[in-house]
Amino acid sequence: MPYISIKDLAFKYGSETVLTHISFDIHPGDFVILTGENGAAKSTLLRNILGLLKPTNGHVTISKLNNQQQPLTIGYVPQQVASFNVGFPSTVYELVQSGRYQNGRWFKRLNQEDKEHIKSALLAVGMWDMRHKKIGDLSGGQKQRISIARTFVTDADVYILDEPTTGMDKASREAFYQLLKHSCTHHAKAVLMVTHDYNDLQQYATRHVALTRKEGTPWRCFSMDSCKELS
Amino acid sequence: MEMFFHGFMQRAFLASLSISIIAPILGLLLILRRQSLMADTLSHVSLAGVALGLLLGVNPTWTNIFIIMILAVILEYLRTIYRSYSELSVALLMSAGMAIALFLMSLDQAKTSVNITQFLFGSIVTISQEQLILLVGLSAIVALLYVIFRKPLYVLMFDEDTAFTAGLPIKRISILFNALTGVTIAVAMPIVGALLVSAIIILPAAIALRISDCFNGVILIGIFIAISGMNSGLILSYLYSTPPGASITLVFIAIFGLTLITKTFFTHFFKKPTNG
Repeated sequence: MPYISIKDLAFKYGSETVLTHISFDIHPGDFVILTGENGAAKSTLLRNILGLLKPTNGHVTISKLNNQQQPLTIGYVPQQVASFNVGFPSTVYELVQSGRYQNGRWFKRLNQEDKEHIKSALLAVGMWDMRHKKIGDLSGGQKQRISIARTFVTDADVYILDEPTTGMDKASREAFYQLLKHSCTHHAKAVLMVTHDYNDLQQYATRHVALTRKEGTPWRCFSMDSCKELS
Repeated sequence: MEMFFHGFMQRAFLASLSISIIAPILGLLLILRRQSLMADTLSHVSLAGVALGLLLGVNPTWTNIFIIMILAVILEYLRTIYRSYSELSVALLMSAGMAIALFLMSLDQAKTSVNITQFLFGSIVTISQEQLILLVGLSAIVALLYVIFRKPLYVLMFDEDTAFTAGLPIKRISILFNALTGVTIAVAMPIVGALLVSAIIILPAAIALRISDCFNGVILIGIFIAISGMNSGLILSYLYSTPPGASITLVFIAIFGLTLITKTFFTHFFKKPTNG
Protein backbone atom coordinates (compact mmCIF):
# COMPACT_ATOMS: atom_id res chain seq x y z
CA MET A 1 0.00 0.00 0.00
CA PRO A 2 1.63 3.30 -1.08
CA TYR A 3 1.87 6.22 1.36
CA ILE A 4 0.99 8.63 -1.46
CA SER A 5 -0.72 7.82 -4.74
CA ILE A 6 -1.05 10.37 -7.55
CA LYS A 7 -3.42 9.46 -10.38
CA ASP A 8 -3.65 11.47 -13.60
CA LEU A 9 -3.16 14.78 -11.82
CA ALA A 10 -3.64 18.02 -13.72
CA PHE A 11 -3.53 21.56 -12.44
CA LYS A 12 -4.49 24.93 -13.91
CA TYR A 13 -3.64 28.45 -12.77
CA GLY A 14 -6.82 30.21 -13.92
CA SER A 15 -7.39 28.93 -17.44
CA GLU A 16 -3.74 28.01 -18.01
CA THR A 17 -2.85 24.33 -17.62
CA VAL A 18 0.57 23.98 -16.01
CA LEU A 19 0.54 20.27 -15.10
CA THR A 20 -1.06 17.32 -16.81
CA HIS A 21 -0.90 13.50 -16.83
CA ILE A 22 1.00 13.08 -13.58
CA SER A 23 0.75 9.59 -12.06
CA PHE A 24 3.10 7.89 -9.64
CA ASP A 25 3.13 6.29 -6.21
CA ILE A 26 5.40 6.77 -3.23
CA HIS A 27 5.89 3.69 -1.05
CA PRO A 28 7.65 3.32 2.30
CA GLY A 29 11.41 3.17 1.61
CA ASP A 30 11.14 5.10 -1.67
CA PHE A 31 13.56 7.95 -2.36
CA VAL A 32 11.96 9.76 -5.28
CA ILE A 33 13.60 12.73 -6.96
CA LEU A 34 11.59 15.15 -9.04
CA THR A 35 13.37 17.15 -11.73
CA GLY A 36 12.42 19.59 -14.44
CA GLU A 37 13.63 22.86 -15.88
CA ASN A 38 12.99 26.17 -14.08
CA GLY A 39 9.28 26.95 -14.20
CA ALA A 40 8.30 23.30 -14.72
CA ALA A 41 5.73 23.57 -11.91
CA LYS A 42 7.65 21.21 -9.61
CA SER A 43 6.74 23.23 -6.49
CA THR A 44 3.16 23.44 -7.74
CA LEU A 45 3.08 19.64 -7.96
CA LEU A 46 4.34 19.35 -4.37
CA ARG A 47 1.70 21.83 -3.19
CA ASN A 48 -0.97 19.74 -4.95
CA ILE A 49 0.29 16.61 -3.21
CA LEU A 50 0.29 18.34 0.18
CA GLY A 51 -3.26 19.65 -0.29
CA LEU A 52 -2.18 23.29 -0.34
CA LEU A 53 -3.58 23.46 -3.89
CA LYS A 54 -6.48 21.46 -5.32
CA PRO A 55 -5.85 19.49 -8.53
CA THR A 56 -8.17 20.48 -11.36
CA ASN A 57 -8.21 16.88 -12.54
CA GLY A 58 -7.18 13.53 -11.12
CA HIS A 59 -6.51 13.00 -7.45
CA VAL A 60 -3.95 12.55 -4.73
CA THR A 61 -4.56 9.84 -2.13
CA ILE A 62 -2.58 9.95 1.09
CA SER A 63 -2.65 6.91 3.33
CA LYS A 64 -4.10 7.63 6.75
CA LEU A 65 -1.80 5.16 8.50
CA ASN A 66 1.88 4.28 8.32
CA ASN A 67 3.48 0.81 8.42
CA GLN A 68 3.07 0.63 12.20
CA GLN A 69 -0.66 1.45 11.87
CA GLN A 70 -0.03 4.88 13.43
CA PRO A 71 -1.35 8.11 11.84
CA LEU A 72 0.85 8.98 8.85
CA THR A 73 2.87 12.17 9.29
CA ILE A 74 4.44 14.41 6.65
CA GLY A 75 7.45 16.71 7.02
CA TYR A 76 7.73 19.53 4.49
CA VAL A 77 10.61 21.85 3.64
CA PRO A 78 9.35 24.60 1.32
CA GLN A 79 11.46 26.27 -1.34
CA GLN A 80 13.45 29.40 -0.47
CA VAL A 81 13.40 28.90 3.28
CA ALA A 82 16.32 31.33 3.33
CA SER A 83 13.80 34.12 2.82
CA PHE A 84 11.67 33.22 5.82
CA ASN A 85 10.45 35.96 8.12
CA VAL A 86 13.68 37.50 9.44
CA GLY A 87 11.88 39.31 12.22
CA PHE A 88 10.30 36.17 13.64
CA PRO A 89 11.16 36.08 17.34
CA SER A 90 12.68 32.67 17.71
CA THR A 91 15.98 31.06 18.54
CA VAL A 92 17.36 28.23 16.42
CA TYR A 93 16.56 25.71 19.17
CA GLU A 94 12.97 26.95 19.53
CA LEU A 95 12.34 26.61 15.80
CA VAL A 96 13.81 23.13 15.51
CA GLN A 97 11.93 22.09 18.65
CA SER A 98 8.65 23.14 16.99
CA GLY A 99 9.10 20.28 14.52
CA ARG A 100 8.58 17.91 17.43
CA TYR A 101 5.14 19.29 18.31
CA GLN A 102 3.26 17.66 15.45
CA ASN A 103 3.83 14.11 16.69
CA GLY A 104 0.84 14.35 19.02
CA ARG A 105 2.68 16.75 21.30
CA TRP A 106 0.77 19.96 20.60
CA PHE A 107 -0.49 19.97 24.15
CA LYS A 108 2.20 17.92 25.92
CA ARG A 109 5.57 18.74 27.45
CA LEU A 110 8.55 17.51 25.45
CA ASN A 111 10.34 14.60 27.13
CA GLN A 112 14.00 13.52 27.23
CA GLU A 113 13.63 11.50 24.02
CA ASP A 114 12.31 14.58 22.20
CA LYS A 115 15.26 16.61 23.46
CA GLU A 116 17.68 13.93 22.25
CA HIS A 117 16.05 14.04 18.81
CA ILE A 118 16.41 17.81 18.68
CA LYS A 119 20.05 17.67 19.75
CA SER A 120 21.00 14.99 17.24
CA ALA A 121 19.22 16.85 14.40
CA LEU A 122 21.05 20.08 15.25
CA LEU A 123 24.35 18.22 15.50
CA ALA A 124 23.69 16.48 12.17
CA VAL A 125 23.33 19.82 10.37
CA GLY A 126 26.20 21.42 12.30
CA MET A 127 24.02 23.99 14.08
CA TRP A 128 24.17 22.81 17.70
CA ASP A 129 26.64 25.53 18.72
CA MET A 130 24.34 28.18 17.24
CA ARG A 131 21.18 26.93 18.97
CA HIS A 132 20.69 30.10 21.04
CA LYS A 133 21.05 32.43 18.07
CA LYS A 134 18.07 34.37 16.72
CA ILE A 135 16.96 32.85 13.41
CA GLY A 136 16.89 36.27 11.76
CA ASP A 137 20.64 36.62 12.34
CA LEU A 138 21.51 33.49 10.32
CA SER A 139 22.86 33.32 6.78
CA GLY A 140 20.80 31.76 3.97
CA GLY A 141 22.68 28.44 4.15
CA GLN A 142 22.28 28.27 7.94
CA LYS A 143 18.53 28.89 7.66
CA GLN A 144 18.33 26.08 5.13
CA ARG A 145 20.13 23.76 7.54
CA ILE A 146 17.84 24.50 10.48
CA SER A 147 14.81 23.96 8.25
CA ILE A 148 16.19 20.54 7.41
CA ALA A 149 16.88 19.86 11.10
CA ARG A 150 13.32 20.92 11.93
CA THR A 151 11.96 18.51 9.34
CA PHE A 152 14.10 15.65 10.66
CA VAL A 153 12.92 16.09 14.25
CA THR A 154 9.34 15.63 13.09
CA ASP A 155 10.40 11.99 12.52
CA ALA A 156 7.74 12.04 9.80
CA ASP A 157 6.91 9.02 7.65
CA VAL A 158 7.17 11.04 4.44
CA TYR A 159 9.57 13.92 3.77
CA ILE A 160 8.55 16.30 1.01
CA LEU A 161 11.49 18.56 0.23
CA ASP A 162 11.55 21.43 -2.25
CA GLU A 163 15.16 22.07 -3.31
CA PRO A 164 16.37 21.66 0.26
CA THR A 165 20.10 21.84 -0.52
CA THR A 166 20.11 25.34 -2.03
CA GLY A 167 23.01 27.25 -0.49
CA MET A 168 24.70 24.13 0.91
CA ASP A 169 28.27 23.14 0.01
CA LYS A 170 29.04 19.83 -1.72
CA ALA A 171 30.20 18.01 1.44
CA SER A 172 27.05 19.03 3.36
CA ARG A 173 24.86 17.99 0.42
CA GLU A 174 26.48 14.55 0.27
CA ALA A 175 26.05 14.05 4.02
CA PHE A 176 22.41 15.09 3.72
CA TYR A 177 21.71 12.68 0.84
CA GLN A 178 23.30 9.83 2.81
CA LEU A 179 21.11 10.66 5.80
CA LEU A 180 17.98 10.58 3.60
CA LYS A 181 19.05 7.31 2.03
CA HIS A 182 19.65 5.83 5.48
CA SER A 183 16.19 6.99 6.65
CA CYS A 184 14.58 5.28 3.64
CA THR A 185 16.46 2.00 3.74
CA HIS A 186 16.70 1.48 7.50
CA HIS A 187 13.60 3.27 8.84
CA ALA A 188 11.17 2.81 5.91
CA LYS A 189 10.73 6.56 5.49
CA ALA A 190 9.64 7.87 2.09
CA VAL A 191 11.21 10.91 0.42
CA LEU A 192 9.99 13.06 -2.45
CA MET A 193 12.55 15.72 -3.29
CA VAL A 194 12.65 18.43 -5.92
CA THR A 195 16.21 18.89 -7.10
CA HIS A 196 18.48 20.16 -9.85
CA ASP A 197 21.25 17.89 -8.55
CA TYR A 198 20.30 14.80 -10.58
CA ASN A 199 23.86 13.58 -11.26
CA ASP A 200 24.87 13.52 -7.60
CA LEU A 201 21.56 12.00 -6.48
CA GLN A 202 21.42 9.09 -8.93
CA GLN A 203 23.36 6.83 -6.55
CA TYR A 204 21.01 7.54 -3.61
CA ALA A 205 17.54 7.82 -5.14
CA THR A 206 15.34 4.84 -5.98
CA ARG A 207 13.22 6.60 -8.58
CA HIS A 208 13.37 9.62 -10.86
CA VAL A 209 10.28 11.52 -11.97
CA ALA A 210 10.99 14.04 -14.74
CA LEU A 211 8.64 16.83 -15.75
CA THR A 212 9.04 18.00 -19.32
CA ARG A 213 7.11 20.02 -21.86
CA LYS A 214 5.80 17.90 -24.73
CA GLU A 215 5.79 19.20 -28.27
CA GLY A 216 2.52 20.73 -29.35
CA THR A 217 1.44 21.56 -25.79
CA PRO A 218 1.13 25.11 -24.41
CA TRP A 219 4.52 26.60 -23.46
CA ARG A 220 3.92 26.44 -19.69
CA CYS A 221 2.26 23.03 -19.62
CA PHE A 222 4.42 20.25 -18.17
CA SER A 223 3.70 16.56 -17.92
CA MET A 224 5.44 13.48 -16.63
CA ASP A 225 8.11 12.47 -19.08
CA SER A 226 9.23 9.38 -17.24
CA CYS A 227 9.26 7.63 -13.91
CA LYS A 228 12.27 5.38 -13.98
CA GLU A 229 13.75 3.11 -11.35
CA LEU A 230 17.28 4.09 -10.38
CA SER A 231 18.42 1.43 -7.96
CA MET B 1 -2.43 59.24 45.96
CA GLU B 2 -6.04 60.39 46.04
CA MET B 3 -6.60 59.06 42.53
CA PHE B 4 -6.37 55.48 43.85
CA PHE B 5 -9.38 56.07 46.10
CA HIS B 6 -11.72 57.05 43.26
CA GLY B 7 -13.92 54.14 42.17
CA PHE B 8 -13.59 55.06 38.49
CA MET B 9 -9.78 55.12 38.75
CA GLN B 10 -9.71 51.74 40.47
CA ARG B 11 -11.83 50.37 37.63
CA ALA B 12 -9.54 52.07 35.10
CA PHE B 13 -6.41 50.49 36.64
CA LEU B 14 -8.04 47.07 36.70
CA ALA B 15 -9.16 47.53 33.09
CA SER B 16 -5.65 48.59 32.06
CA LEU B 17 -4.18 45.52 33.78
CA SER B 18 -6.57 43.29 31.81
CA ILE B 19 -5.76 45.03 28.52
CA SER B 20 -2.03 44.69 29.36
CA ILE B 21 -2.36 40.92 29.43
CA ILE B 22 -4.31 40.69 26.16
CA ALA B 23 -2.55 43.38 24.08
CA PRO B 24 0.95 41.87 23.72
CA ILE B 25 -0.45 38.42 22.84
CA LEU B 26 -2.77 39.71 20.14
CA GLY B 27 -0.28 42.39 19.09
CA LEU B 28 2.54 39.93 18.47
CA LEU B 29 0.29 37.58 16.50
CA LEU B 30 -1.00 40.50 14.39
CA ILE B 31 2.54 41.72 13.66
CA LEU B 32 3.75 38.23 12.70
CA ARG B 33 0.79 37.78 10.35
CA ARG B 34 1.67 41.15 8.80
CA GLN B 35 -1.73 42.42 9.90
CA SER B 36 -0.70 45.24 12.22
CA LEU B 37 -3.31 47.44 10.60
CA MET B 38 -6.08 44.90 11.24
CA ALA B 39 -6.60 46.33 14.72
CA ASP B 40 -7.11 49.72 13.09
CA THR B 41 -9.62 48.22 10.66
CA LEU B 42 -11.54 46.55 13.45
CA SER B 43 -11.66 49.77 15.45
CA HIS B 44 -13.10 51.60 12.42
CA VAL B 45 -15.68 48.86 11.94
CA SER B 46 -16.35 49.02 15.66
CA LEU B 47 -17.55 52.56 15.15
CA ALA B 48 -20.23 51.12 12.86
CA GLY B 49 -21.22 48.75 15.68
CA VAL B 50 -21.34 51.63 18.15
CA ALA B 51 -23.41 53.76 15.78
CA LEU B 52 -25.82 50.85 15.27
CA GLY B 53 -26.18 50.33 19.02
CA LEU B 54 -26.81 54.02 19.68
CA LEU B 55 -29.31 54.16 16.84
CA LEU B 56 -31.23 51.11 18.10
CA GLY B 57 -30.96 52.27 21.70
CA VAL B 58 -29.13 49.15 22.93
CA ASN B 59 -25.74 48.81 24.66
CA PRO B 60 -23.20 49.61 21.87
CA THR B 61 -20.70 47.06 23.23
CA TRP B 62 -23.06 44.19 22.34
CA THR B 63 -23.90 45.43 18.82
CA ASN B 64 -20.19 46.01 18.39
CA ILE B 65 -19.30 42.44 19.36
CA PHE B 66 -22.04 41.14 17.01
CA ILE B 67 -20.74 43.18 14.05
CA ILE B 68 -17.14 42.20 14.75
CA MET B 69 -17.94 38.48 14.87
CA ILE B 70 -19.36 38.71 11.33
CA LEU B 71 -16.35 40.74 10.26
CA ALA B 72 -13.90 38.15 11.63
CA VAL B 73 -15.26 35.58 9.16
CA ILE B 74 -15.29 38.04 6.23
CA LEU B 75 -11.74 39.13 7.03
CA GLU B 76 -10.42 35.58 6.97
CA TYR B 77 -12.21 34.94 3.66
CA LEU B 78 -10.69 38.07 2.11
CA ARG B 79 -7.26 37.19 3.50
CA THR B 80 -7.35 33.79 1.82
CA ILE B 81 -8.50 35.09 -1.56
CA TYR B 82 -5.90 37.91 -1.46
CA ARG B 83 -3.09 35.84 0.12
CA SER B 84 -0.27 37.81 -1.44
CA TYR B 85 -1.85 41.15 -0.57
CA SER B 86 -3.24 40.59 2.92
CA GLU B 87 -3.22 44.35 3.57
CA LEU B 88 -5.86 44.71 0.85
CA SER B 89 -8.53 43.08 3.03
CA VAL B 90 -7.59 45.49 5.80
CA ALA B 91 -7.89 48.55 3.54
CA LEU B 92 -11.18 47.36 2.07
CA LEU B 93 -12.88 46.72 5.39
CA MET B 94 -11.50 49.86 7.02
CA SER B 95 -13.17 52.09 4.46
CA ALA B 96 -16.35 49.97 4.51
CA GLY B 97 -16.52 50.21 8.32
CA MET B 98 -16.02 53.94 8.35
CA ALA B 99 -18.58 54.46 5.57
CA ILE B 100 -21.21 52.37 7.41
CA ALA B 101 -20.49 54.24 10.67
CA LEU B 102 -20.91 57.65 9.01
CA PHE B 103 -24.04 56.49 7.19
CA LEU B 104 -25.67 55.19 10.38
CA MET B 105 -24.68 58.30 12.33
CA SER B 106 -26.28 60.54 9.72
CA LEU B 107 -29.62 58.74 10.19
CA ASP B 108 -30.09 60.20 13.66
CA GLN B 109 -27.40 62.73 14.48
CA ALA B 110 -28.98 63.82 17.76
CA LYS B 111 -28.73 60.31 19.18
CA THR B 112 -25.32 59.35 17.91
CA SER B 113 -22.99 62.32 17.45
CA VAL B 114 -22.53 63.24 21.15
CA ASN B 115 -21.90 59.68 22.32
CA ILE B 116 -19.66 58.72 19.41
CA THR B 117 -17.06 61.33 20.51
CA GLN B 118 -16.63 59.38 23.73
CA PHE B 119 -15.94 56.22 21.71
CA LEU B 120 -13.51 58.02 19.41
CA PHE B 121 -11.27 59.40 22.15
CA GLY B 122 -12.07 57.14 25.11
CA SER B 123 -12.77 58.08 28.69
CA ILE B 124 -11.70 56.56 31.97
CA VAL B 125 -14.79 57.81 33.79
CA THR B 126 -17.07 55.81 31.49
CA ILE B 127 -15.86 52.34 32.53
CA SER B 128 -18.83 50.54 34.02
CA GLN B 129 -18.75 47.52 36.31
CA GLU B 130 -20.23 45.46 33.46
CA GLN B 131 -17.44 46.49 31.05
CA LEU B 132 -14.82 45.72 33.66
CA ILE B 133 -16.18 42.22 34.27
CA LEU B 134 -16.27 41.67 30.49
CA LEU B 135 -12.66 42.82 30.13
CA VAL B 136 -11.35 40.74 33.04
CA GLY B 137 -13.19 37.69 31.65
CA LEU B 138 -11.82 38.32 28.17
CA SER B 139 -8.23 38.66 29.39
CA ALA B 140 -8.58 35.39 31.31
CA ILE B 141 -9.90 33.67 28.15
CA VAL B 142 -7.14 35.09 25.91
CA ALA B 143 -4.39 34.21 28.41
CA LEU B 144 -5.78 30.69 28.84
CA LEU B 145 -6.10 30.15 25.07
CA TYR B 146 -2.54 31.35 24.60
CA VAL B 147 -1.19 28.97 27.24
CA ILE B 148 -3.07 26.03 25.70
CA PHE B 149 -2.46 26.85 22.03
CA ARG B 150 1.00 28.48 22.13
CA LYS B 151 2.66 25.60 20.25
CA PRO B 152 0.17 25.50 17.34
CA LEU B 153 0.21 29.31 17.27
CA TYR B 154 4.01 29.37 17.06
CA VAL B 155 3.98 27.02 14.04
CA LEU B 156 1.07 28.86 12.40
CA MET B 157 2.76 32.25 12.81
CA PHE B 158 6.07 30.93 11.47
CA ASP B 159 4.65 29.45 8.27
CA GLU B 160 1.05 28.67 7.33
CA ASP B 161 2.00 25.99 4.80
CA THR B 162 4.06 24.12 7.38
CA ALA B 163 1.18 24.43 9.85
CA PHE B 164 -1.27 23.06 7.29
CA THR B 165 1.03 20.13 6.49
CA ALA B 166 1.34 19.42 10.22
CA GLY B 167 -2.46 19.01 10.28
CA LEU B 168 -3.46 22.23 12.07
CA PRO B 169 -6.95 23.64 11.36
CA ILE B 170 -5.52 26.98 10.23
CA LYS B 171 -8.81 28.47 9.03
CA ARG B 172 -10.61 27.86 12.33
CA ILE B 173 -7.68 29.18 14.35
CA SER B 174 -7.53 32.31 12.16
CA ILE B 175 -11.25 33.03 12.55
CA LEU B 176 -11.04 32.53 16.32
CA PHE B 177 -8.03 34.84 16.45
CA ASN B 178 -9.80 37.54 14.39
CA ALA B 179 -12.89 37.25 16.58
CA LEU B 180 -10.87 37.58 19.80
CA THR B 181 -9.03 40.61 18.42
CA GLY B 182 -12.35 42.16 17.43
CA VAL B 183 -14.01 41.52 20.78
CA THR B 184 -10.97 42.95 22.60
CA ILE B 185 -11.21 46.11 20.52
CA ALA B 186 -14.96 46.35 21.07
CA VAL B 187 -14.53 46.06 24.83
CA ALA B 188 -11.43 48.27 25.15
CA MET B 189 -12.66 51.00 22.80
CA PRO B 190 -14.81 52.98 25.27
CA ILE B 191 -11.78 53.24 27.56
CA VAL B 192 -8.92 54.06 25.20
CA GLY B 193 -10.81 55.32 22.16
CA ALA B 194 -11.28 53.98 18.64
CA LEU B 195 -8.55 56.16 17.18
CA LEU B 196 -5.77 54.77 19.34
CA VAL B 197 -6.91 51.32 20.45
CA SER B 198 -4.85 49.68 17.71
CA ALA B 199 -1.69 51.48 18.87
CA ILE B 200 -2.22 50.14 22.38
CA ILE B 201 -2.53 46.60 21.03
CA ILE B 202 0.44 46.77 18.65
CA LEU B 203 3.03 48.93 20.46
CA PRO B 204 3.88 46.72 23.51
CA ALA B 205 4.60 43.75 21.20
CA ALA B 206 6.51 45.96 18.75
CA ILE B 207 8.73 47.21 21.59
CA ALA B 208 9.19 43.70 23.04
CA LEU B 209 10.23 42.42 19.59
CA ARG B 210 13.24 44.75 19.79
CA ILE B 211 14.24 43.31 23.15
CA SER B 212 13.63 39.56 23.18
CA ASP B 213 14.90 36.91 20.75
CA CYS B 214 12.37 34.22 21.65
CA PHE B 215 8.61 33.88 21.18
CA ASN B 216 7.52 33.55 24.81
CA GLY B 217 10.06 36.19 25.84
CA VAL B 218 8.36 38.72 23.55
CA ILE B 219 4.98 37.99 25.17
CA LEU B 220 6.30 38.26 28.75
CA ILE B 221 8.31 41.43 28.10
CA GLY B 222 5.34 42.81 26.16
CA ILE B 223 3.06 42.28 29.16
CA PHE B 224 5.55 44.05 31.43
CA ILE B 225 5.81 46.98 28.99
CA ALA B 226 2.04 47.12 28.59
CA ILE B 227 1.46 47.24 32.36
CA SER B 228 4.09 49.97 32.82
CA GLY B 229 2.93 52.02 29.84
CA MET B 230 -0.79 51.77 30.47
CA ASN B 231 -0.60 52.62 34.16
CA SER B 232 1.80 55.54 33.54
CA GLY B 233 -0.52 56.77 30.79
CA LEU B 234 -3.55 56.55 33.05
CA ILE B 235 -1.80 58.52 35.78
CA LEU B 236 -0.81 61.19 33.25
CA SER B 237 -4.37 61.25 31.96
CA TYR B 238 -5.71 61.80 35.48
CA LEU B 239 -3.13 64.42 36.45
CA TYR B 240 -3.38 66.52 33.28
CA SER B 241 -6.97 65.70 32.24
CA THR B 242 -5.76 64.41 28.89
CA PRO B 243 -7.47 61.65 26.87
CA PRO B 244 -6.33 58.23 28.22
CA GLY B 245 -5.74 56.71 24.77
CA ALA B 246 -3.45 59.55 23.73
CA SER B 247 -1.57 59.60 27.04
CA ILE B 248 -0.96 55.84 26.99
CA THR B 249 0.11 55.90 23.33
CA LEU B 250 2.59 58.71 24.00
CA VAL B 251 4.13 56.75 26.88
CA PHE B 252 4.48 53.71 24.58
CA ILE B 253 6.07 55.85 21.88
CA ALA B 254 8.54 57.19 24.46
CA ILE B 255 9.39 53.63 25.59
CA PHE B 256 9.79 52.62 21.94
CA GLY B 257 12.19 55.49 21.28
CA LEU B 258 14.16 54.74 24.44
CA THR B 259 14.41 51.04 23.56
CA LEU B 260 15.57 51.86 20.04
CA ILE B 261 18.30 54.23 21.26
CA THR B 262 19.46 51.85 24.03
CA LYS B 263 19.55 48.85 21.70
CA THR B 264 21.44 50.75 19.01
CA PHE B 265 23.93 51.91 21.65
CA PHE B 266 24.48 48.38 22.98
CA THR B 267 24.71 46.84 19.51
CA HIS B 268 27.23 49.47 18.46
CA PHE B 269 29.49 49.27 21.47
CA PHE B 270 29.12 45.80 22.99
CA LYS B 271 27.93 43.25 20.43
CA LYS B 272 30.52 41.18 18.58
CA PRO B 273 30.11 41.04 14.79
CA THR B 274 28.37 37.83 13.62
CA ASN B 275 29.83 35.50 11.04
CA GLY B 276 28.08 34.33 7.90
